[in-house]
Amino acid sequence: MALKAELSGRPSLSPQPVEGAVPTCIPVLDQMLAGGFPPGSVATLEGATGRWSVAAGLVAAMTRRGLVAILDDGALYPPGLAEAGACLERVLIVPVRKALEVARAADILLRSRICRLILMPAIALRDSIWTRLATLAHRNGVLLIVMAARAGAALSAAAELRLHCALERIIMRGTHGLWGSFAGFELCINLRKHKHLLPGCQTHMRAVMSS
Amino acid sequence: MLLCVEVDFPDLWEEMLDALDAVSPLIDDVRPGLAFLEMHGIAGDARAWMAQTRTVLDPFGQTLRLGVGANKIVARAAAYVADGSICEPGSECELLVLLPLTLLDIEAEVVERLMLLGIERLGDLAALPHGPFVRRFGAAAAGWHELARGIDRRPFVPRSRAVAIEASIFGEGRAVDEAQVFFALRMLLTRVCADLARCGKCAGALHLALELEDAQTCTFDVPLAMPTAQERTMFDMMRAKLEGATFESAIVGLRVQARQLEEGGEAQALFGADDFDPQRVAVTIARLEAMLGERITRATTRKAHLLEERFTYEQFELPRKAMFDRTEAPHELVPQLRLLEVREIAVELRAGEPSRVDQQVVMQCVGPWRIAERAHAPSPVARDEYDVVLEDGTFARIYRQNTHWYLRGIYE
Repeated sequence: MALKAELSGRPSLSPQPVEGAVPTCIPVLDQMLAGGFPPGSVATLEGATGRWSVAAGLVAAMTRRGLVAILDDGALYPPGLAEAGACLERVLIVPVRKALEVARAADILLRSRICRLILMPAIALRDSIWTRLATLAHRNGVLLIVMAARAGAALSAAAELRLHCALERIIMRGTHGLWGSFAGFELCINLRKHKHLLPGCQTHMRAVMSS
Repeated sequence: MLLCVEVDFPDLWEEMLDALDAVSPLIDDVRPGLAFLEMHGIAGDARAWMAQTRTVLDPFGQTLRLGVGANKIVARAAAYVADGSICEPGSECELLVLLPLTLLDIEAEVVERLMLLGIERLGDLAALPHGPFVRRFGAAAAGWHELARGIDRRPFVPRSRAVAIEASIFGEGRAVDEAQVFFALRMLLTRVCADLARCGKCAGALHLALELEDAQTCTFDVPLAMPTAQERTMFDMMRAKLEGATFESAIVGLRVQARQLEEGGEAQALFGADDFDPQRVAVTIARLEAMLGERITRATTRKAHLLEERFTYEQFELPRKAMFDRTEAPHELVPQLRLLEVREIAVELRAGEPSRVDQQVVMQCVGPWRIAERAHAPSPVARDEYDVVLEDGTFARIYRQNTHWYLRGIYE
């Protein structure tokens, strides 16, 4: 018991790099994730604010190496992706409306292996379907990122990595009203689950709008 | 001698080219609306050739411009000067001297640059000293200089003979099960691919015609990402196309036709392990489109005041650039706006600024930014947009239009 208490109280060692990790090109995030997102896995980006900012950074990095697919529920704002540095001509936008369409589109894309990264909205699916998608992602070496305000039990179980984004502070430019504008925000990103790392570590990041 | 045929509105261009086979067996199809016919060894003189050309193209009802010259630039210049002109050998420079630079088919920016330098006609260009001009405008300029002097070294590329490659099956019974259709389809594709291999060709597209028991015919055009003669790829594309299709009665006949035939051989990259397979991308897109019933798109951005007009979607096409991009990705995050379905919201004001949005206290607010669009259109748009941070941490873009407030999006 004493040994267990001592080990749990010890500060975490610097993480060993994960082999084949998919780097986000955001240094603090890559450092926290030991190199990047685990390849061939399901990962979740959770929280009310900031998750799409992190995803856009990852899309920008991945479009430099291949195609990216986004299952779009109609809320995508492509100029934001372009501002984040994504090459839009390498982003397949798949319009999806229903849960079944999301699942089937993700299945087709994972099997085809044409994209290294797939972004999909969180939907209510059976455990077996999440397991199937996770297996396909693993077998085909594709990173499937699920954008969820909060991941359900089935998705949490299937995900190898869970990141939670929380808004810390709004950054203002100028004063309020007509004489000011939002310059961006500061985020706190919490690691909730990782196959190779201890959960609980966190990092702080800024998302800044281009003027 | 070459005969230039130019048409302003090239509808039915392929059919016109087929008709021109009656004038000369060698036709260079430069682009829709412009072709050159090699008249060497053809009986008659230039006037007889042009008369025959007019006769064969008369049924198409197009306005033609014909010209005869020793090479492409001269023949085209003759057609440009006046329909039916003939440029006799030795008078090329005289013909070209007053003609515009656009006859060279060079980029508009280059023409603009030349015109800024006072070079407006081919005669001006021909009068420039060759060496300094080429040093200033690059190696391609040597060709323009020669063209301006009536020397055309561009090769004459005869269009290939149309080879019909198709396979069909009729009168073998009726298919009500998709497995039967796929079996027949695979058999037909085997025959088509064998014919393609025999001719040394690849197909850039396929055409499938299904004859139904109720005498209806359903047709499908299946474009291929790149010309191929692989049965597997063709079958996958066909199956993906048929996945979303339903038929009202049994299928009694199939015909598969290979189209857009090109010379065989597929480009392979030596270090292309990381590159995707274009055919696989095309098959995947076809399957997704068949399943969703909607197009798979890519986005392009454009300048506009309204958020929803700052981008458009277009059919996804494979990027032409190499897949591996050495430019470094940005190291900073950028806030992302999510465009929610526009809905009306309840907003309370204090001192002219939103103080509560949907019962939530506004912690911070910036704006308004006035957007007035289409002032002279029947439905003008005039909005005041605000960014607000609510007490639950939501960071939203709202706007007021007339007396109503709407939620436009949320920053995530």
